[in-house]
Amino acid sequence: MTFLQPLILWGLPLVLLPVIIHLINRMRHRPRQWAAMQFLLAATRSSTSHAKLRNLLILLMRVLAVLTLLLFLARPLVGGWMGWALAAAPDAILLLVDRSASMEARVAGADESRREYALKMLADAAREFEHASHLVLLDSATRQAREIANAASLPGLPDTQATDTAADLPAMLQTALDWLIENQAGTAEIWIASDLQASNWQPDDPRWETIITAFDSMPQKVRVRLLATTQESPGNASISVAQLSRQQATGGGEVRLAVDLTRSQADAGRATITRTLNGVATELEARVTGQSTRWRHRFAVGDQAGGWGKLELSADGNPRDNITYYRYSDDHRPAGLVVTGSALGPLWQAAASAAGRDGRTPAKRYAPDDVTPADLRDATLVVWQAPLPEGEMAGALRRFADEGGRVIFFPPDQAATARFAGLGWGEKQTSGDAGFAVGRWDEDQGPLANTDEGLLLPLAKLGVRQRQQVIGQAAVLAAFDDGQALLVRQSLGQGEVYFCATLPLLAWSEMGDGLVVVPMLQRLLAAGSRRLQRDSVAECGHVGAGDLQLEWTSIETGQRGDVQTQAGVYQSGDRWLVVNRPAAEDEFERVGDEAVAGLFGSLSFQLFQAQRDDTALQGEIWRMFLFLMLLALLIEAWLIRPGPIPDDAPPKPQPAAA
Amino acid sequence: MGQPLLARFPMEGSVSGHHRSPHRGSSVEFAEYRNYAPGDDIRRLDWRVFARTDRYYLKEFEAETNLRCYVVLDCSGSMGFEGEHGTRLDYAKRLAATLSYLIINQGDAAGLLHVTEKTTPDIPPRRNASHLQIILDALGQAQPTGGTQLVPMLHELAEKARRRALVVILSDCFCDGAELRDALQHLRFQKHDLALFHLLDPLELAFEFDRPVRFVDMEGSQSIVTEPATVRAEYQAQLKRFLGKLRDDCHEFNADYRRVTIDQPYGQVLADFLTERARHATRA
Repeated sequence: MTFLQPLILWGLPLVLLPVIIHLINRMRHRPRQWAAMQFLLAATRSSTSHAKLRNLLILLMRVLAVLTLLLFLARPLVGGWMGWALAAAPDAILLLVDRSASMEARVAGADESRREYALKMLADAAREFEHASHLVLLDSATRQAREIANAASLPGLPDTQATDTAADLPAMLQTALDWLIENQAGTAEIWIASDLQASNWQPDDPRWETIITAFDSMPQKVRVRLLATTQESPGNASISVAQLSRQQATGGGEVRLAVDLTRSQADAGRATITRTLNGVATELEARVTGQSTRWRHRFAVGDQAGGWGKLELSADGNPRDNITYYRYSDDHRPAGLVVTGSALGPLWQAAASAAGRDGRTPAKRYAPDDVTPADLRDATLVVWQAPLPEGEMAGALRRFADEGGRVIFFPPDQAATARFAGLGWGEKQTSGDAGFAVGRWDEDQGPLANTDEGLLLPLAKLGVRQRQQVIGQAAVLAAFDDGQALLVRQSLGQGEVYFCATLPLLAWSEMGDGLVVVPMLQRLLAAGSRRLQRDSVAECGHVGAGDLQLEWTSIETGQRGDVQTQAGVYQSGDRWLVVNRPAAEDEFERVGDEAVAGLFGSLSFQLFQAQRDDTALQGEIWRMFLFLMLLALLIEAWLIRPGPIPDDAPPKPQPAAA
Repeated sequence: MGQPLLARFPMEGSVSGHHRSPHRGSSVEFAEYRNYAPGDDIRRLDWRVFARTDRYYLKEFEAETNLRCYVVLDCSGSMGFEGEHGTRLDYAKRLAATLSYLIINQGDAAGLLHVTEKTTPDIPPRRNASHLQIILDALGQAQPTGGTQLVPMLHELAEKARRRALVVILSDCFCDGAELRDALQHLRFQKHDLALFHLLDPLELAFEFDRPVRFVDMEGSQSIVTEPATVRAEYQAQLKRFLGKLRDDCHEFNADYRRVTIDQPYGQVLADFLTERARHATRA
């Protein structure tokens, strides 16, 4: 507990005033000759214990009244953070600071963000412990634990500044656990400042159980205090580029953007978006219909080989999520490569053809025995309808995928024991007249996602008569009604490997009409073009290790930038890097109080919901002391009230008129 | 104060007076007829009755005698209690003097008994006017001192006064209630007419103090420091029980109990006392 007017506490000895007055009063009693002593002695004997108790209570209430008056005048500060606990200072206090983009939301009615507010509160609370405890900062962006000299410096430290990253609370706690073990700290407290964003806390993550079990098994006592900065914020909207493609149109090149707009309000309206393209700003308007809207925008870029830009919303509750960056270029062109010995070759070539200035270029086709690793050099997508590769070719394909290429395997029409990326082909299955119906597929992302216009691919009407079972563990993107997979995906490095369980042959399925297979392959072709790009696209906090080795210069500022924490467009030599905040940071979902408390299991846990109106972490509680003082005075008044004249009081003879 | 002091019961006096006697006498108050018996004075025969009935009847009249009054003045230490209206003993002295004056002035005999630890000679009842001065002188010298000896003194009086008399007690009665009851019963057994003036100070009833007080016993060395407000209710309850018991005891023995607070004008107190007695005598 701290006080705004601590000097008044020097007056605490005044609480003895009622006792002193009482003693003086007792000492200055008047002597009185008394005749009816027998009744007085009897009365004193019978009421002594009761009277003593009442006198003690009266004295106590007077002392309490003076004490609460002094505390009230001293304006005490106390909060759920430190609570009323008067425990000894812990050996170490680990300050886990959430620096994610969502923490930059402004606090309603205050000129500060949730992060700034949390840092201020943490610094104030930690100040009392800085001489007795080790203060260790562990921020969400770097996840590096480092000791800090004093609490006051906390808000100004580079590692506590705003970032465009997301936070991974389980990972932060794991780091805290490692630090405690490594440094053999004694009693410890973990102070967490976070806005409880569900994507940061990941309450369903299995790591929680492991971490909390590890904390429980530690010999020393660990207490967790959570400052939840969930105060009211002004309305907020966020923007992020979901898809970008450079298309060749009749008038030259054009860039097509699919932009996700997320808002805290659900009402329909219009959003003003400022598009910056190579330094030139243009104001646009987008129609929004609900909390989440996908806005499509295209603009001509002529013959420009490449460019960069950003889309920016007007100022709102969180300035950090109002900007998203993009870059386009044509220094590469997607190219498909088909490996098949079947008659489906032309179909694959057409479906995997790439658009260019000179029209569409069919994919190259090779027989399984003719293809060599060198043929993969310029490809972005490999369609493999043949027995799974082995040996040198398999290695080449893996490298191809590692570099960001996409590989899709179709049934070779024969069972084999070979595996690629842990997946392989099983037995071939033929259905009856009804065929195999596709029951579900991922409509949001992947090669079977809905079209830009929001239309479903006609998978539900896809008749499948034959299929070849996919063996192995992988993410299922589409499945039949009986649970067997139609399309699975396995990540491999920067690329992905797909297995499709049927063929676009009439004997197998109706996929040959192109309504499914063409968009599927075109999307994989575009996605695989990343392999040949000189540009890198990453999320803050997830920049590849190779990119982190380079020195990056921000295109906007012309200065060296921290690509790991700050979104933007960066350049290093002839390489480009576009970094945006993680899409999950735009989600407004929070973890509930009870759910958070449940995550910490049997650990000593205290949650403090910062409320702006209470001045928060350490709130003034003078009202409570004022109330207590009044209560003490009321009780005292009740105790000293003159008792009712007893019914058995002796009647006083009325003096007769003279 | 035109009312005479009348006894409520027949008195045995030595001379003729205003008070009823248990014997038949020669007053003008007709008492009864009774048959002549040999030895009766034939001058008391009612000849008119004899003429009408041819029987001998004697016409008897009430005898009236004088009153012997013992004024018992409690001079114990507690009678020295002083409130806003003077000491209790001064008030008692005024009552005693006035009563003595009234009694002697109406031709009755008045005496004075000091209730004190010291041996103070009693003043036996006399009728002559000079006796009043003796009583007044004794009253003037009376001082409050020591513990109360009221109970043994009343027993002694009951034994000593062989003739019926009026016993007027002026006391605060701060003694053992049961013992006092026995003493009063003893007096009534001897057919004395009892009048008890129970003298109390208003402060003793109200017990109102605004700060702690060290109460010192006026008849002993005991003292107690207390916050009066904390014991007031219990004190008043104890006092009321005592007063109620004393009043009931007096009524049981047909004694005249009069509770007096010393802020009352004593003239009015005596006037009420005499009026009540006169009314009682008329009814009798």
